[in-house]
Parts: sequence; C-alpha cells; structure tokens
Amino acid sequence: MIVIKHGESDWSMPIQRYSRRLNVLEATRERMVFIFDSFEQIIVSISGGKDSTCMAHLALSEAQRRGRKIGLHFLDEEVVYESTVEQIEYLMGLFPENVAKIWLQIEFRLTNATSVEDGQLICWEAGKHKLWMRPKKPYAIQHRMWSEESQTVRNKNKGFGFYDVIENFERCYNGAAFLVGLRAAGESPNRWRAVVKNPVHIADRDVYWGTKKDKNYSLYPIYDWNFHDVWKYVYDEGLRYSKVYDWQFRKGYSINQMRVSSLIHERAFKSICDLPEFEPKTYNRLCKRIKGIALVQETGKSAKLFACRKLPKNYRSWIAFRDFLIQTHPDQERVHLFVERYQRHLTNEYVARQQCRQLLLNDYENNLPIDNKPDPREALIQYYDEVL
Amino acid sequence: MIALGLTAVEKEVMIAEYCQEHSIRKVFVLSPIRFRPLFELPCEVEYIEWAEIIMYKFFYRLLQEINNYTLLVINECLRIQDRNDLTYNCIRHFLNQTKNQFVFQYLPIIDSIDDFMILFDFDTRSKWKRDAFCGALLRECEIEIKRVNVSWREVRVETNAATTKTYAREKRRLIDDIRLRDPHTIPRNLYLISGKEKVKSIEIESQYVGRNNRFGLDNMRTYRDISGTGQYVVFELCHNFIDFIDFMSVSRQVEIPVMVSDLKVDQWYYDRYQAWGKRLVDAYSALQP
Repeated sequence: MIVIKHGESDWSMPIQRYSRRLNVLEATRERMVFIFDSFEQIIVSISGGKDSTCMAHLALSEAQRRGRKIGLHFLDEEVVYESTVEQIEYLMGLFPENVAKIWLQIEFRLTNATSVEDGQLICWEAGKHKLWMRPKKPYAIQHRMWSEESQTVRNKNKGFGFYDVIENFERCYNGAAFLVGLRAAGESPNRWRAVVKNPVHIADRDVYWGTKKDKNYSLYPIYDWNFHDVWKYVYDEGLRYSKVYDWQFRKGYSINQMRVSSLIHERAFKSICDLPEFEPKTYNRLCKRIKGIALVQETGKSAKLFACRKLPKNYRSWIAFRDFLIQTHPDQERVHLFVERYQRHLTNEYVARQQCRQLLLNDYENNLPIDNKPDPREALIQYYDEVL
Repeated sequence: MIALGLTAVEKEVMIAEYCQEHSIRKVFVLSPIRFRPLFELPCEVEYIEWAEIIMYKFFYRLLQEINNYTLLVINECLRIQDRNDLTYNCIRHFLNQTKNQFVFQYLPIIDSIDDFMILFDFDTRSKWKRDAFCGALLRECEIEIKRVNVSWREVRVETNAATTKTYAREKRRLIDDIRLRDPHTIPRNLYLISGKEKVKSIEIESQYVGRNNRFGLDNMRTYRDISGTGQYVVFELCHNFIDFIDFMSVSRQVEIPVMVSDLKVDQWYYDRYQAWGKRLVDAYSALQP
C-alpha cells in the first residue's frame, strides 16, 4: 500500500508524489484526526457497501477514542438487498454510544430502469405501505427534516429524487463534515481528477480529498484506497460485510462487477439477474413492488435488449429502431424529454444506438450520457473503399 | 526481469536456477492456456489461465499466497493493447506482493512500441504507468532480448480478368450493403475471393496456414490449430496482429512465405504486415540501441 501525496508544482494541477512514509491506512487515520480536530459536526454517509463500511469503522474508532458522537447517515432507497439493510443495522450498532442514527426513510423518486410504464418508483410512498419491501424502522427519520418552501429540486421533470434528498438533507447542517466513502484510486482516472482538481481550504490547510458544498464540506478520507486495501482492512479488523459480495465471489464475478447498490437504476439493474439466487425473498417482494422485474431478471444481460448491443432483426438500422421506440413510448408525459434531447444530437448509427439504450432503460435524466460524435465506422468504410 | 523471445526450455532453465538460488517454495505461472509451458521444477507449480486472472476466487487467494518465497511468472500475457486493462491491473497487484518475478514474452509489441510499456509496467511496479515509451526509461528495468528477425517472402499468384471483375463487384456490394456490420468484414470477405484463386496454386508437399480450412485440404492448418513448431506457407494473413503473433510464438517460424495474388486486398494485407515487421525491427532497435 502506497499513499499518494500532493504538493505544489509549477503546474496549475497538483502533482502526486509517492511516499514510503505512510500507507493509505495510516494516512486515513491521520485524515480522521484532522477531521475530528477541525469539525464539530461529522456525518458519515453509509450505503452498506465495503467502502463505506471501512470508512464508518475508521470514523467510529476515532469517535470512540475521543468519546464523541458522530452521525451515521443512510438514505434508504427501499429497493435494496436485505443484506444491505443488515449491514446498516450492524454498522449502527457497532459503537452505539458514539452513533447518532440518521436512517432516512422518506418519500422520494427513484428512476426505474426495469420498466418504461412504471418509469419511477416512489420509495416509501404513502398509502402503499402494504407493498413496501419491508416496514419502516421505528427509529428511522420518516418525514422530511426541511420545510416544503425551502425544498429544492434539481430536475423538475424527474421530481424530488435521490440527489435532491441528499442536497436538502445536507442543507440542514451548518459547517458540518460529510464523510463519503468514495474511492478514486485504481478505478477511474476521471474520478481521481475530479476529486483532486479543486482542493478545499480547511484549518489553514489545502485538502485535496474534499469539496465544499455551501456551508458544509464533503470529504473523501479513503479516496486513495484501492479495493484490496478495503478488503484487507475488513479482514484485519474482523468487520462484517454484505453477504452479496460472497455470493458474487462464488459466482466468479470480476472485480469491477462486484457492486452492492440499488437494484433498479440504469447502471445497476443487471444485479436483478442473479437476485433470485442470492436473495429469493427480496426478489419475490421486488416482483410485487415494481413492474418489469421478471423481464429484467431473464433478459438483463441479453445483448439485444437492455445492453442494446445487437439490433433486433426486424429493424434495418438503429435510427429506425429509435424512431419506433419513440413513437410507441408508453410514457407520453416524458417522451418529449427524449425527443428534445435527440434533436440536438447528430443523426448517425453510432449515436442512435446509444439513444435506443437510453429509451430502453428509460433514462430520461440522461444518466447514461450520449457520445455525440460522427460515426467512427463511416471513416473506416471510406478508407477501405479507397485502398481495397 | 523481462525476457523476450525465449523458448520454453530456456524459460524452464532460467526459472529452475532462480528457484534454487532464492529458496523459492512455489511458482505461479500466469499464462494463456495455449502457451502454457509445463515446467518440471523442484518446487510446486500452479498455472493460472489468462481468463482466470481477474476472477475473485483467484485474485484474493493469490494476493494472500504470493510472497517473497514465491516466484511469479508472467508468460506471454501481452494480449491487449489497453495498458489499463483489468487483467493487467490484477497482474500488477500480484507483482506488488513479491520481488521474485519473470516476464516472458516472445515479441515485444502487438502493434506499436507503446505496447512494450505494458511489460515495462510489470517489471517496474507501474511507477511510470502514465508515461509513453521513452528510451531513457529502459535503464529502470532489466531486459534480456533474443531477437526475432522476421523476413517475408512474397509468393505471387496471378488471377484472371474474370476474378478481377468479381472482386470489383463484390467490393461494391460489401460497401453498399455494409449497414451495421463491422467495416472490417470488407477486407476479410474480399480476401475470400483471392483465396479461391490461391487455392489453385497450392503445392502438395508444402504445409499451409490459413484462417480456416474451408477448402478441406490435408496440408492446410488454421492459425488456431497450430500447436507446435513448423514451417508453413501463409495462405492468408490474419486481420488482427495478435493472432499472427500467436502463430509465430507457437510455430517459431521467422521466415514467412506469403501467398499474394494481384488483387488489391492481398497487396493491402501484405503491405500492412511488412509495415508491422518494420515496426517490430524499430522496436528492437529502440530496446537495444
């Protein structure tokens, strides 16, 4: 384990230096000390995954050492693995005297990639408690902590969504540190750049692992951890982790496929394919809760359907398929969002295939952005025409 | 250490000596199954197939088991040009666990000298993973090179006017009807036309290698079939360089006669490989200035 340090250079971007002095765990412990020294209010966001488990444990250990109390915040999306719920309960019960439980079970909208008819799930929808995946926790926060007037919504077309909850929730605090278990090392260079690009100034120090949001700070103390650092920490500390990882391990999932997240959004719906095997009861409840689950379970990995890699044989082109999907879109309220967006795009097969994917996954929020450029195939075909 | 162009026997000798000198208890060989050498060593040997490298059931066990008493052999693992490929990342993690390592590769590149940096990363713990190839960096790693000097010989095959006409017609048809098909199918399919002409010139006493044995000839082998050393006349070249490199690594053939008809597609493939051969020579020159 090597820690990456930042220092000043002639360039506007920070440079990374490799230091043999510290490993990432020691560096994170130092960061925790710094956070506890600098902030009165500390809230750790947890998701039930391996990263947030490590971060929560590190923060709680420091809190226990200082006899302080920190918030553990879980935004419950309702449609999650049962193992995730168990993991959250485990984390919240780990150091009870040092934890303020902030388990949010409030009504908000979640994109449902599994059905175009039921394009959104309203989590914890009032009046539908019989359909909920599970009953609410008695100690959970069940009502919005902010007033209707002060509430902000990023995208009116979507309504009050996941990130709106986070934003409004964070705005309830002043000068707080929100710790997020985001890791940027070894996974995505873009994420790394995004994290370290704009350092924030805290207690006379430039902090490269955080961002400032209004009156609060979002901090990423394990940003330079690699996934094996996370697992080593879990092992060394004897921490419990979500059973989903074990199931995925046994199924031979590759490293980048092993994720524990929401079950229905456009980047995670494939997890439903193996859900009956992993958690049959969760799958059963999910089928009753939302439309489209059984179809995704069978076809989630098919190249012709959701992956949109093969054109269905009744269509001559992706453009024709896209037009068909728009014409027959069941959600007439939202179809104009797609139409307006696609009017700004180039018309070629390369772009149209991506548009089909968005339509099939009901991605009206544009979470799977389209690479709007000329079809690279056309240049290649022209080249072959000239040389052959 | 990076060792280029060694035979299986040479690799085995090198590994055996190293194991003895460094009290190695176990050897892990990471290798595509086609190139898996069966080493006879004084210690335990475990082979991990290319496709298995990324699997968790191997990844974590190996991270746990690889230590300074184990030797890690990365054998013929230069298969993809993406330096950040997941399999390469996993290999790099394994290499971080031990100082005992060998990187064996037949040729230093797939297509360009930058491919060599994948091997370089293996040997240098990825310290220069963001840098492109630069001769000055080579002093950071130990390289042993057994140069592979590829030479090409053109075996000309004449076609007639009717074939040229068919070729032109087929080319137009392929381009006009390409629709959503992969554009690389154009040269691949045009190559089939020249194959029909070239098959008439096949000599019974020679061994040939082609993409497939669609003519059902006894002396024609496919690139995938070849499993040992031998001398072959190339009936048609592979579209992807990696397939041809695999053929060279297995057959150890360096003088390569290629059947080339007077159709444009044949000349295009032949020129493409000549240029590749030139890049290979340049790569050796860059590695051994």
